[in-house]
Amino acid sequence: MHIPDGYLGPYTCAFFYLIMIPIWYKAFRWLKNLKPSQVPLLGVLTAFSFLVMMYNMPVPGGTTAHIVGGTIIAILISPWAATVSLTIVLLIQALFFGDGGITTYAANVFNMGVVLPFVGYYTYRFLTQRLKLNEIVSAGIGAYVGIVTAAIMAGIELGIQPYLQPGYCPYPLRVSVPAMAIAHLVTAGPAAAVVTAAVVWYVKKSRPDLFAMRTITKTRG
Amino acid sequence: MDRVTKTLLAIVGVMIILSPIGILLVWNYSDAWGEWDVNTVEQMVGHKLPGMEKLADIWNHAVLPDYNVPGWEDKLHASIGYIISAVVGTALVMLLYYALVKFTVGKGTSS
Repeated sequence: MHIPDGYLGPYTCAFFYLIMIPIWYKAFRWLKNLKPSQVPLLGVLTAFSFLVMMYNMPVPGGTTAHIVGGTIIAILISPWAATVSLTIVLLIQALFFGDGGITTYAANVFNMGVVLPFVGYYTYRFLTQRLKLNEIVSAGIGAYVGIVTAAIMAGIELGIQPYLQPGYCPYPLRVSVPAMAIAHLVTAGPAAAVVTAAVVWYVKKSRPDLFAMRTITKTRG
Repeated sequence: MDRVTKTLLAIVGVMIILSPIGILLVWNYSDAWGEWDVNTVEQMVGHKLPGMEKLADIWNHAVLPDYNVPGWEDKLHASIGYIISAVVGTALVMLLYYALVKFTVGKGTSS
């Protein structure tokens, strides 16, 4: 899901940098509210997110996909914390490993660090609070919906390029969106569901106090 | 350090050691969709992509491109390169995270 340099034209890249400015402002301001006891947890989950993206999984048809870990952070701490984490992880990946890009950095943070954790988190909240579904099951479903939505978002960004300015991503929406969606529906989505459910179950079981510290119970619960 | 963080840290360690699974499992697969290099895309569509050509190499200072030591092509070397990348990446991510936390956390007024 890391869009490399060259796939998005200058207008799309500039558009996402503009969109990300207020989101980054809000996310970094939110970081001030992180409790000292949550600091190590967010740190280790940020490292976890970097590593989990190195586990490429085969997608039927010959391509690969990986999970992101954004919904885990969103559920255990806050979706804003996930934005901060993914901002860090995607920067290191682009600069040191050539994964993703510089011009596409803001778009990638938007997909994996905003769309993914917020959709995952609000899906989880809806399932637990409105439908009174089990927390762990809801976490898994949230992660699944989150990563598939983020992948479709990336597919849309890639697929609109031929209509905007030719010379960048050559594939139109009818090719890019299904390709991105299917890879994540069949491979990364189920993996994200299982991993997220497992981590949330573990943290909830062993540190109910940390689990209760989340913004979800504090502000709107 | 609390028990949960310790366990998760141990998981991080195990994930670093086992990281080569992430390339060996997909050794004969192509890249993720939409992450091919320019030449590959141009070959697939059968024409030049001038915009992509111009932007693709805007950043070519990656120290460990594709999570590998340049030139380490066979499975064994690529696996070692991958583990090195996992260690370096984890360290850099943590460094940046704690630098950020040092300047921000606990300085809030709204909570």
